Amino acid sequence: MTGPLSMLNPGWLLIAVGIVALFLPMRRVRQGLTIAAPIIAIVLLSLADQNINHLSAQAMGIDFIFYRVDSLSFIFGLAFLLAALLNAIYAWHTDDRLQDGMAIAYAGAAVAATFSGDMMSLFVFWELTAVTSVFLILRAGTRAAYFASMRYLAIQVLSGVLLLAGIAYVYHSRGDLSIQAFTSLKEPGAILVFIALGIKAAFPFLHNWLQDSYPKATVVGAVVLSAFTTKLAVYAFARMFPGHDALIWIGAVMTVFPVFFAVIENDLRKVLAYSLNNQVGFMICAIGLGATGVGDALALNGASAHAFCHIIYKGLLFMSMGAVLYRTGTTKASELGGLYKSMPWTTVFCIIGAMSISAFPLFSGFAAKSLTMSAVGHEGYTVVWLMLLFASAGVLEHSGIKIPYFAFFGHDSGKRVKEAPFNMLLAMGLASFICIAVGIPAIVPGLGYEWLYNLLPYREEAMAYNPFTLGHVLTQMQLLVLAIFAFVMLKRLGWYPAEKPGVVLDTDWVYRKAGYGLFTWAGTIWQKAGPAMTAVFFKLTGRAYDRIEDTFSPRGELARGRLGSAMAIWTAILLGLVLLLAFITSS
Amino acid sequence: MSDETPNDTRDSNGRFVKRAAETAHRLHTPSEEGVHPVAKILFGWTENKRSGTFIFWGVAVLSMVLIVADLGVPRHEYVEIAHATGFYALWGFCSFAFVVLMGWPLARLLRRKEDYYGDPGGPPVDIDPDMPVEPSAEGTYHYEGDED
Repeated sequence: MTGPLSMLNPGWLLIAVGIVALFLPMRRVRQGLTIAAPIIAIVLLSLADQNINHLSAQAMGIDFIFYRVDSLSFIFGLAFLLAALLNAIYAWHTDDRLQDGMAIAYAGAAVAATFSGDMMSLFVFWELTAVTSVFLILRAGTRAAYFASMRYLAIQVLSGVLLLAGIAYVYHSRGDLSIQAFTSLKEPGAILVFIALGIKAAFPFLHNWLQDSYPKATVVGAVVLSAFTTKLAVYAFARMFPGHDALIWIGAVMTVFPVFFAVIENDLRKVLAYSLNNQVGFMICAIGLGATGVGDALALNGASAHAFCHIIYKGLLFMSMGAVLYRTGTTKASELGGLYKSMPWTTVFCIIGAMSISAFPLFSGFAAKSLTMSAVGHEGYTVVWLMLLFASAGVLEHSGIKIPYFAFFGHDSGKRVKEAPFNMLLAMGLASFICIAVGIPAIVPGLGYEWLYNLLPYREEAMAYNPFTLGHVLTQMQLLVLAIFAFVMLKRLGWYPAEKPGVVLDTDWVYRKAGYGLFTWAGTIWQKAGPAMTAVFFKLTGRAYDRIEDTFSPRGELARGRLGSAMAIWTAILLGLVLLLAFITSS
Repeated sequence: MSDETPNDTRDSNGRFVKRAAETAHRLHTPSEEGVHPVAKILFGWTENKRSGTFIFWGVAVLSMVLIVADLGVPRHEYVEIAHATGFYALWGFCSFAFVVLMGWPLARLLRRKEDYYGDPGGPPVDIDPDMPVEPSAEGTYHYEGDED
């Protein structure tokens, strides 16, 4: 494609539409724009030539690359745009200019960052994702959401500041800001960028902003939030840190620990937030495989395919829980149950999302996760492979079974509500279609999972991989069916813990309770100790001043009487020494 | 029900359009108990008292079939331990059971009251405006911590 449109980063189009939407009171026109923009952006992206700079500029001696597409950014950008489209349809029933505008601008910022070819452009859009997305939490209008959004913003901005500091170091050492893979994690610039990305990817101990904020967002907001921030970080890792061993273990830990939190969490949107953490772990782990700075083709394909499928099926799960929240006013498992009676279509779509994330054969998760699992096994990381396999059973527990079972089946809460609005069902239906369409075998060549594999960064390696071997399907079914058997057995025995209301402590306790407590304690202490310390200070300085005045002032001790001969000699000696020292130091 | 169908939706064959409209209407109209008709078609079987037993034994038999099938299906594995017959089945069962059973001690260790951090918040403002508002069972929250 040539002409001015070829230079338009699709993300910029979405950001522009987002700004227009903020000021457009005509509801249907505004919403029509938010649906049309991702469709036009997908067309623009599909027509864009790959591996060339479509728009670049030079300023202050720095080369800025505003729009560049390659096979890695294409798959992430496409997934973001599809998510933006589904989100806009999902939000059709609302009338909220701020939310409409910020949702599409947030998507646009993520897309624009994905197609940025230099670190400074990446930083600008990195920060824009934070600034736009915070409104999706804030708009929930509750007191808890307000505080959560402030914590969210602080942590996101911290990530941006670290990224900027890292970029400064990189510019100092490299002399240019083009996005390249780091070959070492020893230089300060690389470490700062790594931590900045790690915050957004919700690394262990840096993860709790996610579980704190997403479940407190609006119905639509949580769906929008689930797609972009963490996957943008995954993209940035795949771009800048492929093959770094640290990521293998960080990713493996990320897949395992959220499983334990999710099992005891009562808020089903928070369960999904933990599940998000777990899924991003698979992608991070895959990015860490292979040669440092290069990565492993099969694994990078796995991370990309997983990100694409995850954006859709996690969005679908958040949509289904959003529909439940919209109709019932809660997503607490202890208050739900039996909703299949009044929301059967939502139930069906939720089950499709649950089967996709659990990687059942014929669903998208299977086609995507298989690549990562094979790559980990192939590279010989047996312990990591076992951890990921454990986490796969864990995903089935919290996202595959817990979400649909406690919301739609289980104990009947007696809630009889209306089915979700049509636009929500349409968005969920489309997401379900994608989940199945990219998960089925390629009966028609080029369709089914092959359609997805064709878009992956290492196309030839992807097309040579067949997830539907008899052995692979059998082993995956063994894992899942026996895990389901464990569920029905534990339920039958009454050993499955009941869902109870409550908040589960996590690492945010450190700053929400201990840190806050420390600050308030320090404040109280200062209020009491401050005046006393000030009084002591003034007393001591007052005394010192009095002494000095008594000695050196015109009325002081030294001003009295005549200058003695001994004092004249000592003064001469002192001046002589100063002169000698001056000579020595100057020579 | 049929009275609500406007006469002008009938075509020259009359009955066919009316029936289709009635069928569509029936499929989208919840019963007096609030149960959606599609729910009865898709999930009505779960209300059977014996469905739990049926699912249990169904999954048990399927599990056995999958393990037995493992004996006859050639597998290409990268990890040595995965060659063992039924390895995935055992790993899946044990992992799931471990995660669930760990829920008991972890809940005791980590679960606190909902207002532990202060105001736990209610539903967001963009929920269904037609939703019947139920009084909060929690009553007035005691504010403390950073959200005081």
